[in-house]
Parts: sequence; structure tokens; C-alpha cells
Amino acid sequence: MLKKLLHSREITAFAFILFMFLGVGAINPAFLSPGNIWLCFNSSVVYTVVAIGIALVIITGEIDVSVGATLGMTATICGTMIRDGQPWEAAILTALLVGLLIGVVNGFGVTVLKIPSIIMTLGINGIVRGLIYVYTDGKWVENISFDFKNLSQGRLFGAITWFYLGALLLMVAVHLVLTRTKHGKYLAAVGDNIGGATLLGIPVDSTKFMAFVLCGLLAAAGGVLYVSRVGFVTPIAGNGYEMKVIAACVLGGISLSGGVGSVIGAGVGAAIMASISRVLVFVGLSSDYDNTITGILLIIIVVSDALIRRRAVEKARRERLAAKTLHAVASEKGATVDA
Amino acid sequence: MRKGKKLLLRWESLLVLVIVLEFLIFGTLSPKFLNLKRLFSGLNQFIPVCIISLFVTYVMITGGIDIQAGSIVGLTSIMVGVLWNDAGLNIFVACIVALVAGALCGTLSGFFVAYTGVQPMVVTLGGSFLYSGLALAVTNLSAKEAYQGISDFPEAFRALSRTELFGAVPMQFVIFLALVVVSYVVLHRTNYGRKIFLCGVNPNAAEFCGINTRAVIMSTYTLSGLSASVAGILLTAYLGTAKADMGAGYTLPIVTAVVLGGTSNLGGSGGVIGSALAALAVGLLRIGLSLNGLSTQYLDIPVGILLVVTVSFRFAGTNPKLRKLFGRRKRQTVISKAG
Repeated sequence: MLKKLLHSREITAFAFILFMFLGVGAINPAFLSPGNIWLCFNSSVVYTVVAIGIALVIITGEIDVSVGATLGMTATICGTMIRDGQPWEAAILTALLVGLLIGVVNGFGVTVLKIPSIIMTLGINGIVRGLIYVYTDGKWVENISFDFKNLSQGRLFGAITWFYLGALLLMVAVHLVLTRTKHGKYLAAVGDNIGGATLLGIPVDSTKFMAFVLCGLLAAAGGVLYVSRVGFVTPIAGNGYEMKVIAACVLGGISLSGGVGSVIGAGVGAAIMASISRVLVFVGLSSDYDNTITGILLIIIVVSDALIRRRAVEKARRERLAAKTLHAVASEKGATVDA
Repeated sequence: MRKGKKLLLRWESLLVLVIVLEFLIFGTLSPKFLNLKRLFSGLNQFIPVCIISLFVTYVMITGGIDIQAGSIVGLTSIMVGVLWNDAGLNIFVACIVALVAGALCGTLSGFFVAYTGVQPMVVTLGGSFLYSGLALAVTNLSAKEAYQGISDFPEAFRALSRTELFGAVPMQFVIFLALVVVSYVVLHRTNYGRKIFLCGVNPNAAEFCGINTRAVIMSTYTLSGLSASVAGILLTAYLGTAKADMGAGYTLPIVTAVVLGGTSNLGGSGGVIGSALAALAVGLLRIGLSLNGLSTQYLDIPVGILLVVTVSFRFAGTNPKLRKLFGRRKRQTVISKAG
């Protein structure tokens, strides 16, 4: 059990976040106060929810770069409806429906029209971004009721926000579905070997379709959380979120070629992404370096992971070759003795 | 006759048709569109995308993707500004340094793609974070406030984009045409170009032919980085200000132009002429729509729709279920071929 845990890919991300916190704590002990640590995790809630969604798509071997626009669109719609005094349930439900719809469109394009997912979702990203301007006329959505904003401040034991607790529960639930149920396992199967999955009779297209729909839905959930946390919505809300959450997934050990990784990793990656800017402040650097550090981290982690894996493959190959040649030598000797 | 028919059926001919249609439609809608001066001044904003898409085509032919070009544009722009304004270099020396930096940025990502086997998407995602972060860091070196940008460049530098040949054709456009010729000759008429195609079709076969596939793949990223910094310099000269966030939204139009130009995102096929024509078509679409009163923020909607619709035409044929629905005769010919 322990060995299995040590070999899982998320453990690298866990170890990384631990070392990062301890390292920064060594430079500036104020960082390690419980309040600050909780703040790091609590502030990652939007990233976490969206990252879980995109992880589903990435595990099937596709990609969705429209989540940023989806988040912006649903946040705008939810924010506008709440500002105009409509019931919260209606606002949230509408936002989720819009996210679902965008997911359906993406899924349709990828599974029925067979458009490569990066192109399809890039196009949808542009379209939805434009639609946000059409919907808001380029204006900010402000004056959102305090009650709704206060939702994001509610805490359990004064530490973890209800939102983040919910995100964690969601993460565990999705993880269990992916690892324990038949249909959940389909996702990784499709991403790992699409030909093999087809031959096994796994419904490849509908699995991918579901992944896109869920991704849209979770991006919409991220949009609702965004409204409550930030309190206002600009037309460029969610810009660049797609890149951040993809980076979070990669940091958390999910391979972009599909089939490898878990949503737990996505959650840890999201926490890393959200913590970097706070870490910079505590180390005494400007948060302008946020992107630089993210880029360097991403490249280092991915490249070292690729090199380690390649060495493992080569080592296994050498061992196999050695075993084969040893066997050949032994059988040859046996043959001469017989003669 | 047959040759003529073949020429008509080529993808590039369709793009020429699209451009002609755009001239007809927008020309009748608003006569301003046919005013050469106005047309070129509108196109000036879009020339950087056209230039970059030429060389991103190289990357996509090898089976990769480059989403970092936009951030290299910003990095180049701010580097020229800071080297000239704060380091006191001659403006053209500053340009050369920035060109070298752009090529190095491309090479770095290309190195990781080619020599470690990490997916190009991940590496260039990291690159886009890294280089846009570096651009911000460079901005902080300047005495001027970041939001103002650096301006008041010498006339000799601004002449790079301000000079108009024959009283109407701007220098930028001439540079673009020259680069089209250069990139066409390199890709379609030299050994190096053949190697790029072979790397995309089958890297293993290319390796067995004695081609250093890794070096070839890396060099395509160098070229796209270099072209991004050429674009950055031209854009800085045209706008007269150096800013770190220039080129931030270029990923969608660049990928649109390349994919619309007929280059497969899986590698192995495509061409520079198609990308150039597609980039012009997208540029003209944007000018035409904005002349007819569509606000620039909405322009991503038609571009996105154009991308999704054209690509869906090209890929929908690969879905057997759709074929069953629409093209029964086509299906029969496929079967007879298979038999």
C-alpha cells in the first residue's frame, strides 16, 4: 500500500508543495502560520474546481482551452442575474446550464465532427469571449449583493472555507468515480489506448463527449465561485485561466497525452498555482514574477519527468536484453556439453 | 484541362476565392474597403500575425504546435524599448539583440521538444508563461512606468513601418511578401524543407534516412521564435510604443491562419502559401467587419466561427456515421476501394 502510494505520480506534486512551503517558511517564518497556509489553499478553490473538469478531458487524451472563456461567460451571467435581484438558485442554475451547453458544443465538435480538440476549443474560446462582450457591452458587472459575496467567507472551524471543503469533497468523489466505477475507468482507457478501447467495445465517442460536458459544467461552477469570491466581473474575467489550469494538471502529474494521472493531482497542482504568487510576496519578490516562476516550474517538472521515465524504459530494456543474452549463452553452453 | 481542374480543387484556390468574395461583399457594403490606403492601414495591425503564421506552419508540419509566439512578440518589443531607452544602445543594435533573444527563446523550447520528448503543447505553454514573465521583468528594469510603455522612438526606426512604397503599399506589407517568398523557397524548394515534411510524416523513417530529426525539429522552433521577434519589432515600429503585453491575444489568430491554410495539426502536410492566404483572409475579414461597424472586441466571434466551420468540413468526412447520414454514394466508393 505504502509502496503504491510512493510510486503514484501525485506524490511528486505533494512533496513539491511541502518543500515549497517549508523552504519559504525558512526564509520568512510568517509564511508558515496556519492562517496563511489555509489562505493559500482556500484561494485555490476556483482553480481546483476548473482543474478537476479539465483533468477529465485531458485524461481522455483531448484538451479544452475554452474553460477560461466558459468561466468568464458563466461568471458574467451569474453576476448579472444576482445584481438584478433574481433568486440565487436561478442564477446559479442558468450559469451551470450555459457551461453545460458550451461543453456539449465542444463535445459535439470533437466527437461527431471529428475536429481536433485544440482547434475546436480554441475556436469556441474566441467565440465565447466575443459573446461576453456582446452580452455585457464591455461593461463591468458590479454591485453584487453582499449576502452572495459573504458565501465565500463562510468557514468551518474558522479555517477551511465551505467552498474549498466542497471542492475537496468533489475531488474525492470524482477520483472515486474514475478509479472505482466502470464508466469512470473508461476515461483513462480511452486516453491510454484509443484503438484498444475501441476493440474492447468501450464507447469511445460518448466517453469523450461526457468528459467535455462535465468539463464545461465544472468551468461554470468555477464561474459561480468566482463571482462570489471576487465580487465583480470584468469582460476579461477568466482570461488565461485555461493555461493556468492546464499547467496545474501538468504539475499534478497528469500527462497531456492521456491516460495517466488523477484528479487528486489536478487539485494539488491547482494549490501550487494559487500559492506561487503568495510565496513570491513572502520571499520579497514582486508578484510580477508569477508567470516566470510558473513557466520555469512547468518546464523543469515536465522535462525531468520525461527524462526519468525514459531512463526507466531504457533500464528495463537493458535488463530484458541482458536476461535474453544470458539465457542464450547458457543454452549454447548446454548444447556443447551435450555434443 | 486536367491540370486546370486540379489547380481549381486545391485548398489554396478556395482561399483565393474567399479573399475575392470578401472584396466583393465588403466592397459593396462600404466603399471605404476598396480605398487602398485605408485597407493597408487596417492590415498593418494584422501583419505580425501573418508573418508569425508563416513559420508556425513549419512547426505544425513537424507535428508540433507553438503557442508561445505571442509572448515572444511582447518580450521582443519591450527589449527593444528598454535597450534603447535605458541601456542607451543604438536602436538597430537593440533590434538585433532582440532578434537574437527571440531566436534563443524559440531554440530553448525547441530543444526541450526535440531532445526530451515532452509534448510541444506543454513546452510552449511553459514557454509562453516564461517569456511573458520575462517581458514583465524586463519592463521593471525601465525607468518608465509599465502601463505607459516606452515611446518617442527615432524616426529612422519608425520608418521601418511608416515608409510607403509607391505611395500606398506600406513597408511592413513588403517585408511580409518577401518573407512569404523566402519561407516558400525554404520549405518547398530546399533539402531542409523536405526534411521538415519527412519529420512530420514519420520521424522514425526520417531518422533511418540519416536525417538528424531532433536538430530539424528544434530549428523549426528557432525560426518561429525569430519570426515572432521580427513581428514584435515591426509592431513596435508601427505603434511607436514598446509594451510587454503586445501579442497577448495572438494564439487564436495564428493557429486559425495556419489550420485554415490547410496545414494538418497532426503534421506531415501543409504549406506556406496556404497560411499566408488564410492569414490575409482572416485579416481582411476583421477589417471588413470593423469598417461595417462591428466593434473590435466582437471580432473573435466570426474568426472563431470561420475556424470551426472550415475545419469541420475538412474533418467531418472522417466520421463514418456522418458519412452514412449524408454521403451514401461516397461511402460506396470507399467500400469498393477497400474491396
